[in-house]
Amino acid sequence: MFYRETGQFKTSYQADMAVFPIRQDRIGLALILLAAFVVIPFFGSDFIISSVMIPFLVFSLAAIGLNILTGYTGLISLGTAAFMGVGAYACYKLTTFFPNINIIVLILVSGLFSAAVGVLFGLPSLRIKGFYLAVATLAAQFFLQWCFVRVPWLFNYNASGAIEVPQRTLFDIPITGALASPETRYFVCLGLVVVLTWFASNLLHGRIGRSWMAVRDMDIAAELMGIRLLNTKLLAFAVSSFYCGVAGAMMIFLWYGGGEAADVFSIRLSFNILFMVIIGGLGSLVGSFFGAAFLASLPTIMKFGLPAIGVPLAGATAEHVTFMLVGALIIFFLIVEPHGLARLWQIGKQKLRTWPFPY
Amino acid sequence: MRAPGTVAAGETLLAVENVSLRFGGVKAITDVSFDIRKGEIRAIIGPNGAGKTSMLNCINGFYYPQEGRITFKGETRRRMRPYVAASQGIARTFQNVALFKGMSTLDNIMAGRTLKMNRGFFWQLLRYGPAMAEEIEHRKVVEEIIDFLQIEHIRKVPVGKLPYGLQKRVELARALAMEPELLLLDEPMAGMNLEEKEDMCRFILDVNQQYGTTIALIEHDMGVVMDLSDRVVVLEYGRKIADGTPEAVKRDQRVIDAYLGVAH
Ligand SMILES: Nc1ncnc2c1ncn2[C@@H]1O[C@H](COP(=O)(O)OP(=O)(O)O)[C@@H](O)[C@H]1O
Ligand SMILES: [Mg+2]
Repeated sequence: MFYRETGQFKTSYQADMAVFPIRQDRIGLALILLAAFVVIPFFGSDFIISSVMIPFLVFSLAAIGLNILTGYTGLISLGTAAFMGVGAYACYKLTTFFPNINIIVLILVSGLFSAAVGVLFGLPSLRIKGFYLAVATLAAQFFLQWCFVRVPWLFNYNASGAIEVPQRTLFDIPITGALASPETRYFVCLGLVVVLTWFASNLLHGRIGRSWMAVRDMDIAAELMGIRLLNTKLLAFAVSSFYCGVAGAMMIFLWYGGGEAADVFSIRLSFNILFMVIIGGLGSLVGSFFGAAFLASLPTIMKFGLPAIGVPLAGATAEHVTFMLVGALIIFFLIVEPHGLARLWQIGKQKLRTWPFPY
Repeated sequence: MRAPGTVAAGETLLAVENVSLRFGGVKAITDVSFDIRKGEIRAIIGPNGAGKTSMLNCINGFYYPQEGRITFKGETRRRMRPYVAASQGIARTFQNVALFKGMSTLDNIMAGRTLKMNRGFFWQLLRYGPAMAEEIEHRKVVEEIIDFLQIEHIRKVPVGKLPYGLQKRVELARALAMEPELLLLDEPMAGMNLEEKEDMCRFILDVNQQYGTTIALIEHDMGVVMDLSDRVVVLEYGRKIADGTPEAVKRDQRVIDAYLGVAH
């Protein structure tokens, strides 16, 4: 009843081409932003903010990155974690060399390094697809992870191999390092994610996004229409890796606050991001958030939520149940609904739009 | 004086000379030559496996013939390349619909405008100012094509959900969005019912007359070929066996033999 576009007429192509043409969607977005910027930071506990919200934001950004490559351009990648790692280590080196440049700028610049590495490992994609490309990106994963361990220059010759996140400030407020409060770190993450999501949405709704999807759906036809396959695929690798790289830098600097990064950026993380994209919805921006929200909150729900409502689950069992649940969902979505939670969301909205009359 | 690269009506727009194409031991095309004149509808007919689709693939650079030359708008090449063909004004539709299944009708047709859009990456990031102006400008052109082919009602529908006949029409729309000088249609009416066929015939004629687009058409329905085309080239087993007006070709003994027993 309330979710309707009746009476909202579009009088220009500009209005029709808006990302959210329906008024209710725009209101919904405003409410979400309000909650994200006001409600959560002021009413959420430190635990919720640092153990649920920040991971959710970091994963969302990485999932958007992978979705651009896999969901929108149809190029499968198992090297997501490695590209995230490139961002993290690049950021560490950059802030070592340029301690006076603002860390937020450096986090974004680290994405460019990741983009360059992504393009390099994307080169084979002109010749190979599907399974073989997955194997090629897997090689990237192992090679880069090997570098993270074996090239001591990357972690400033620290004996333990760990990254030590230095304190960096913005307007004299610490945003990284031990003194940075969860709320500040959350705000930085949120700001980056909002702006980068807006950019991604713009790209995907224009010429470049259409070229990516054209290559995904029918590369022959795309090529014969003058879309250059190599350029288009490499651009997808670059943008995708940029997002992953920024997510990786955020992960170490704003979430973990340091540690043995080489272990973090493992193949397991690559798979986790891939699962988020599959469960959330291949080829959907909002799906990236759904998938990240689901997988980022699942461990917490299993560990604290279920016991709270009286279902006793010991730590190890909870972990096993999580594994099985995710596995089952992956199979379910791959077989039944490749567009994931995002499609279920769409169907729900469509039902609402016509409710209470089915036609 | 004409600008270089433009061809006046009735002159040769495309010439294929002594083209041969092999796949390992399979000879798909053997020493075929023919030309297409600016403004005409040129039919390519022949039994299944005669090499018609392969010929289109050579013309727009998807296959590389081992021998021969291809001249388009006065420029002679050993072989075409897909990007060159597209940017020089060759568009096509496919025998088995090759739409972008996950995209809406509108986005499919907009994708046809890709080569004409040139706002760079950073404007695209903002989707504002010049990038938005460009998007709107091209949307207008696309809406005209949508109007022309009467597919307004399926504008926002993902093409994978459309019935076959409409998919073929969207594919034509996408090719038209490139504003091609030469349009290659590979069996545009295959698998359609009578009414859809009649619509498609009318669209092809309208495209040819309103936009002056030169058309090369592969079609099995002899009635359609006779009605639409100005000249016909007939292939059999990869060789050219006849070339001329529909009437002349229809009376050619080799053509009659080739089609003997084939119910068309
Ligand atoms: N990519 C390919 N690889 C191998 N053989 C091919 C290929 N494309 C076409 N052929 C062969 O070339 C011949 C002509 O095919 P085609 O051009 O599709 O015929 P038509 O369109 O006239 O039915 C057939 O024998 C076909 O098997
Ligand atoms: Mg064919």
